[in-house]
Amino acid sequence: MSTTGIIFDVKRFAVHDGPGVRTTLFLKGCPLRCLWCHNPESMLVQPRLAYYVHKCLHCGECVSVCPTHAHALFDGKHAFDRSVCTACGACEEACLGSALKNYGEAISVDEAVQIVIEDRDFYGEDGGVTLSGGEPLFQMEFCCDFLKQLKALGIHTAVDTCGCVAWSALEKVLSVADIFLWDFKHSDREEHRRLTGLPNDLILENLNKLVECGARIEVRIPLVPGCNDSEENLSATAKILKKLHVERVRILPYHALARTKYEALGMKNAIHDFSPSEPEIVLCAVDIFRSRGINAE
Amino acid sequence: MFSTFKQDRTYLTQKFRKDVCDPVTGLDLNTLKERLKEFTEPLVGESHTVIKAKAFEYVTKNVQIDVNPHDWFVSFGCWNRYDRPLNYLLKKWNSVVDQKHLSEIIPLINEFTKSGAVAMWKDFDHSVPDWDAVFRLGFPGLRKRARQYKDEREQSGMLTDEAKIYFDSIETVYSAILEMLERFHAYALANADGNERVLSVARCLKTLIHGAPTNTYEALQLIYTYFVFGEHIDHMQVRSLGNLDRILYSYYKKDLGDGLFTEENIREFFAYFLMQWGSINNYWGHPLYLGGTKENGETEINELSYLILDVFDTLSIPTPKIQLKINRNTPVPFVNKAMDMIRRGHSSLVFVCEPSVKRTMMAAGYSEAEARTFDITGCYEFGPRACHNSTAGAYLNLLKPLEWVLNNGSDPATGVAVGLETGGVEQYTTFDSFYSAYIRQLGHLIETSIQYVTEAEKYLHEINPAIVLSASIENSLKTAKDAFSNGTVYNNTSILCAGFGTLIDALMAVKEFVYEKNAVSLRELQNALKNNWIGYEKLRLKVLHSKNKFGNGIAAVDTYAVAVASFYAGKINLRPNARGGFYRASIHPARTFITLGEKTGATPDGRMSGDEMSKNASPTMGMDRNGVTALIKSVTSIDSAMFPGDFPLDVMMHPATVQGDDGLAAMRTLLNAYMEKHGIAIHFNIFDVKVLLDAQKYPEKYESLQVRVCGWNVRFNDIAKKEQDAYIRRAFNICE
Repeated sequence: MSTTGIIFDVKRFAVHDGPGVRTTLFLKGCPLRCLWCHNPESMLVQPRLAYYVHKCLHCGECVSVCPTHAHALFDGKHAFDRSVCTACGACEEACLGSALKNYGEAISVDEAVQIVIEDRDFYGEDGGVTLSGGEPLFQMEFCCDFLKQLKALGIHTAVDTCGCVAWSALEKVLSVADIFLWDFKHSDREEHRRLTGLPNDLILENLNKLVECGARIEVRIPLVPGCNDSEENLSATAKILKKLHVERVRILPYHALARTKYEALGMKNAIHDFSPSEPEIVLCAVDIFRSRGINAE
Repeated sequence: MFSTFKQDRTYLTQKFRKDVCDPVTGLDLNTLKERLKEFTEPLVGESHTVIKAKAFEYVTKNVQIDVNPHDWFVSFGCWNRYDRPLNYLLKKWNSVVDQKHLSEIIPLINEFTKSGAVAMWKDFDHSVPDWDAVFRLGFPGLRKRARQYKDEREQSGMLTDEAKIYFDSIETVYSAILEMLERFHAYALANADGNERVLSVARCLKTLIHGAPTNTYEALQLIYTYFVFGEHIDHMQVRSLGNLDRILYSYYKKDLGDGLFTEENIREFFAYFLMQWGSINNYWGHPLYLGGTKENGETEINELSYLILDVFDTLSIPTPKIQLKINRNTPVPFVNKAMDMIRRGHSSLVFVCEPSVKRTMMAAGYSEAEARTFDITGCYEFGPRACHNSTAGAYLNLLKPLEWVLNNGSDPATGVAVGLETGGVEQYTTFDSFYSAYIRQLGHLIETSIQYVTEAEKYLHEINPAIVLSASIENSLKTAKDAFSNGTVYNNTSILCAGFGTLIDALMAVKEFVYEKNAVSLRELQNALKNNWIGYEKLRLKVLHSKNKFGNGIAAVDTYAVAVASFYAGKINLRPNARGGFYRASIHPARTFITLGEKTGATPDGRMSGDEMSKNASPTMGMDRNGVTALIKSVTSIDSAMFPGDFPLDVMMHPATVQGDDGLAAMRTLLNAYMEKHGIAIHFNIFDVKVLLDAQKYPEKYESLQVRVCGWNVRFNDIAKKEQDAYIRRAFNICE
């Protein structure tokens, strides 16, 4: 029996998750709580049911399949009691309006390999498989076994990480990850803590070590207005990255927040609104890195 | 003389939409048609070929003409393709053939047609001349070659009455063409009034009167005039303007080398040339194609290929449409250029994968060279260059046999028994018995349609002798047989179909909900369909929500897709037709996925009565929910070698997926993966659902928004709301 992991999504024909055309597996669980998080369903390892109220047809199909009576119909209206929901997922299939979505599915390494192998013909020369999340290395054993199998099959692998994990985890996947996509949130220790919940010491230490090991690294900076898009922070970031000789920096413009997803997950309290990145600011950010001789886009 | 396109564009747009000719030059269209009737009446009793040739000559002598300073190409008074002068003759001869030869089978076929089981007409829509011969010989050379073949026959005592009629009609028609070019020439000289361009047009005409074209402009004028003579007067659709980059490259190089024209001049010629079809604006689009592979394995893509795409890009018109013959040797920058146009909405382009076509054609018995140098015609059909014609014999509605299964052979709307009596719904106790009944009914639809087409096609040349075309096809001259009927080397007939993906979904819905989940009895389902799902809304939602839909990479579903496709193709392929050729299976419906859908009741997949069905090898709109890789996996699980007619796939993607260089690379990867899996034709719609919704609300903001329909593009604003909704349904599944 192979190791089991908890995933919340599979994205096929992903073109923004590393080189070429890829299949991205999203793993649940993350040590950070970034204010702007796009995947709130990934924060906890445990599965969680999302209820998209605007899609609900109030048909009542979920009521009869729910073992814990989390769903009910009152006066023809659907009511959902999250406190008793065990996120078993039975209602997802029954739902006629695609209003219920259970984030979190246990999957064995063998099954995961089967999923990504289906798309092998589309990877071309550059593409392959990306592990993302959440923080994929939160489920380190699954990652390690999964990547090992992919390497044995000759498939290109990428690990999209926030870097906030024990060095031992990174060290373990070092030989089976062809490239690391390193999410760099902020250069300043305290600001990092304010924005993500944790300071960046471990992240910087790990990044240093990874560079020393000669790993291929693409640094990705989610540019969030008012959080990390100041010239001061970007210059400081560029200074750090310049020293480390990272291969490439990619600026990821911030789009509107996944507000409906937060609401559907019952995480309204965690919503922090930011306006989308202005195109000029994005260009300026890219320039800051390029002007220091860093390959950025 | 040059740099005038901007101010001439208005004239060019109107050219094929209203009378632009000089009234003093001939008869207006209505008078022409009346006089033509009077002229042909005394000819009754003569061979149709003779009458048609004389009628052709009458038109070329009397129709109004123009050589306009706003245009590089001449104008014909018979511009309206819906009201062509010879229409009435063809209509008359068609009913003569129906009464004389087809009266026995017509009643059944009428019921088939009325109930929407099939769409068929005697097809004169797919002729392609031997363009290489047309260029090499010009109009006078084509006439001369026909004369030589006639002389040879005469000397060897083989000139039968029929052969004599064949050659004499070519003589009449090609002499009429040359005389008409003389008319244009004389008119240009008389009315030039010192206008440099009109004088240039006159010089060009003079060359074409005396021989083959000598430069790019003359070559384009030749294609254009051949097209109008062939399509607007001889009534035979010219369904490819040819492999333009390959054919015109030597002229282009020579013109630049000699300093005759600049690159800019040539771009302008192309802009005027392409605008002719932009003005005609047929909804099915007018095809030309680029690319291919030379005998030595090198690509045919050259500087002209880029130039043509470039000019087409600037015009922003949905027609003509351009087919790109793609192979592993096709330069990446060329593919990138095409992909970039597509993602910007200039998407009247389709990729036709050469290695896959080659494999399919060789499986049908063609030689390696024939399978490599194929012409692309119509939407994405293919056949060996210069020695092939193919008709679209019948479009079959794959959902109709399902209605017959549920109604014991009767059509639920008309009540007429047109299918087989396979038993009432109670008798299908297992899904296997239901499925077997479907296969029997489908077999019946195919057999009956082929029986009719075989009869009808015996008389194609009696309805519409292809005189202009015949002179271009050497095998036709050799055999003295009509090139569109039985005079080319391969005279084939396609049997096409609509609703393939929807049918698979419908079969799977019956399997899952009636036989596996027992959610509904077949009797109740029949009742739900009869009531167009009214009272069964929840059941319909469950069916729509089911995962078992074609196009999602689900093996259990795709197995049935492969089975039905194999049965369909096996019943059709390589059966002899009436013209010495063979039948070939096609999975392309043209517009019948809409028109036959209108005549089809609600179906078990959740489709409502009258709604469109799936097209091509594609899933039902909106039912492919697992992304493009699963889509391609499903579709290519069917071996395209079973479809020598054609095998196209429609792909819809979100603009965010294809932005930037990474996006282009991703599109290329997709194309290559499709090609490696033997997919044949693939075309794209790049949409954001928000844009489509906005366009529906504010059409005035989206005048140039195009969508790809089947093998052609239309403006989004020009299609019915119901059709727009189908695109929106599909776009909802496409995310960033």
